[in-house]
Amino acid sequence: MTMTFAGEMPVGAPVVAPNVTLTSLSEEVTSRVLMRRAPLWWWAGFMIAFLLLTVLAIQMGWLFVNGIGVWGVDIPVAWGLALAEYVWWIALASGGTIVSALFFLTRSPWRSATNRIAESMLLSAAPCAGLMPIMHLGRPGLFYWLFPYSTVMGIWPQPRSPLWWDFICLLCYILMSLMYYYTGILPDLATVRDLAQSKSKQIFYGILALGWRGSTQEWGHQRVVYAIMSAIMAPMVISVHSVVGLDFAGGLTPGWHDTQFPPYFFFGAVISGTALIVMLTILVRWGYGLQDLLTAYHLNAMAKVMLVGSLLLAYAYVWEAFGPMYGGSVADKTEFFHRVFGFTAAPFWSEKILTVAVPQLLWLPFVRRNVPLLLLISTGIIIGMWQERYVFVIGSLEHNYMPSSWGVYFPTVWDWAALAGTIGLFLTLFFLFLRFAPIVSLAEVREIVEEERSK
Amino acid sequence: MSDLFGIIGVFDTPDAVKNAAIRVRDSGYRKFEAYTPYPIQGLDKILHPGTKWGLPVLMFGGAVFGAAWGYWIQAWSEVVNYPINVGGRPYNSWPAFTVGTFEFMVLCAVAAGLLGLLAASRLPQLYHPLFEARSFARASRDRFLVCIEATDPRFDAAAIGVLFTELGAERIEEVRA
Repeated sequence: MTMTFAGEMPVGAPVVAPNVTLTSLSEEVTSRVLMRRAPLWWWAGFMIAFLLLTVLAIQMGWLFVNGIGVWGVDIPVAWGLALAEYVWWIALASGGTIVSALFFLTRSPWRSATNRIAESMLLSAAPCAGLMPIMHLGRPGLFYWLFPYSTVMGIWPQPRSPLWWDFICLLCYILMSLMYYYTGILPDLATVRDLAQSKSKQIFYGILALGWRGSTQEWGHQRVVYAIMSAIMAPMVISVHSVVGLDFAGGLTPGWHDTQFPPYFFFGAVISGTALIVMLTILVRWGYGLQDLLTAYHLNAMAKVMLVGSLLLAYAYVWEAFGPMYGGSVADKTEFFHRVFGFTAAPFWSEKILTVAVPQLLWLPFVRRNVPLLLLISTGIIIGMWQERYVFVIGSLEHNYMPSSWGVYFPTVWDWAALAGTIGLFLTLFFLFLRFAPIVSLAEVREIVEEERSK
Repeated sequence: MSDLFGIIGVFDTPDAVKNAAIRVRDSGYRKFEAYTPYPIQGLDKILHPGTKWGLPVLMFGGAVFGAAWGYWIQAWSEVVNYPINVGGRPYNSWPAFTVGTFEFMVLCAVAAGLLGLLAASRLPQLYHPLFEARSFARASRDRFLVCIEATDPRFDAAAIGVLFTELGAERIEEVRA
């Protein structure tokens, strides 16, 4: 007799609802793109997003005119919220590639319906990440000095610096993610083209689909390239977030100068990225009524990924404490006590609860099926990860080596405007993806539908 | 018959189209292609036998080119063009250059993959005679098509019609060139 937990999803449970056919699948998903008028919730959400985007525009205008003094940054805390949020956004974005590329390689069936949401999320979050350090530059107009193109300017970037690696990583990451997204969506754009009724939409999607016909030869090429791209994207995303970790590990500030940072950051990406995908999946399936395609199976699988992420993070937290306590550096130790009991104690403990303690509920099968609970847990994880980034960026700078250089940091209204504004940018981009591109990968879900049918 | 591009047979299951492809091949036709909403396991081997190393090799070539470019752009700037002594480290401090090298490598590999995919599939090609066929739109949704092209030396519209009917095609359509 096999032992199963009560309520555990059985092996071989249907990935998509049994009433989904090839015909209904294409029409359901494509109709969301082709409908003449977007539903009310879309407009409401888009208006809020757009409003927040104007906050970003105003914030950037004020910042660029007055300089970064409008933020709370000063010496000793010269890296403020914007850089903590840079790490936060890039972790959220990385989660999209982890779900999309890593689980393509493992041939996980749940990945097929969620990968498009994951990739749309990643392409919406990556620009927010990229914007943060540019805003923080002080002279943002000169950010292009980081490009390794130079003889004209007579200035070369310094390729020995993790900050330059980071720029190159993010740049390559955004470009590669776009190419990866496009390679995956090309056949689906052809479906939209073939279903479009109005001339303008036929032309628009016709151009985007590049004349894809779905011949066996095209499929053969597409599958080979897509598989190799996935095998490249998976280590690539690990490199991106690890290099963000090296920005800190390469600094001498106590609390940053730690070899565990690259994997620690990557663990954060696994959990927070998946949490954002769970959140968006729940909202998209509710908004577009795609409960037949984005089923309990998908949520169950992603909940398990979040659980694994929280365990990985718990492991990193152990080392976060072990390093300073065992290491013998007084500065490291006092900085750690500052984090735990000092000015940043509240976010420190709240982050541990939200990202490690609460997600342990996901061991229980009924929690993994309870949509409102999943929404709450994943929102909590995203907030907790924001607090984590806040604590180690700002807490460390507040407590440097010399007590004479200790200080505190208070974000100003413009710091918060930058956060609200990038959330606006993210949501605006995501709502546009939702409206103009199939949000479920049709070609891949068709294979799942056929598999279910032949079972 | 020169104004024909080919003849389409429409099938409604992946097994039917696979079976049809085998029969069409065994009947001696060479210029034919299947159009399906998703890649059908095994169909590729029937239609385009042989191993295909082109795209993987191209992507590997892209990776080699990218790595060389990435390393060169860093080493040339630090060793030749504008050497700066950073804390006594060697000008050619290759361990520090590995990250940039890796990123350029994967970027070029992926770019080579996408461009190679488009080139190998002859895309973009915004117009194709097949788009005029009424039954073709469903090939991107829920139908499986086989099209025998008029350039095939054994092309004979009547015989193909009989063959497709025998194979259980739910619809047979002539496509104008």
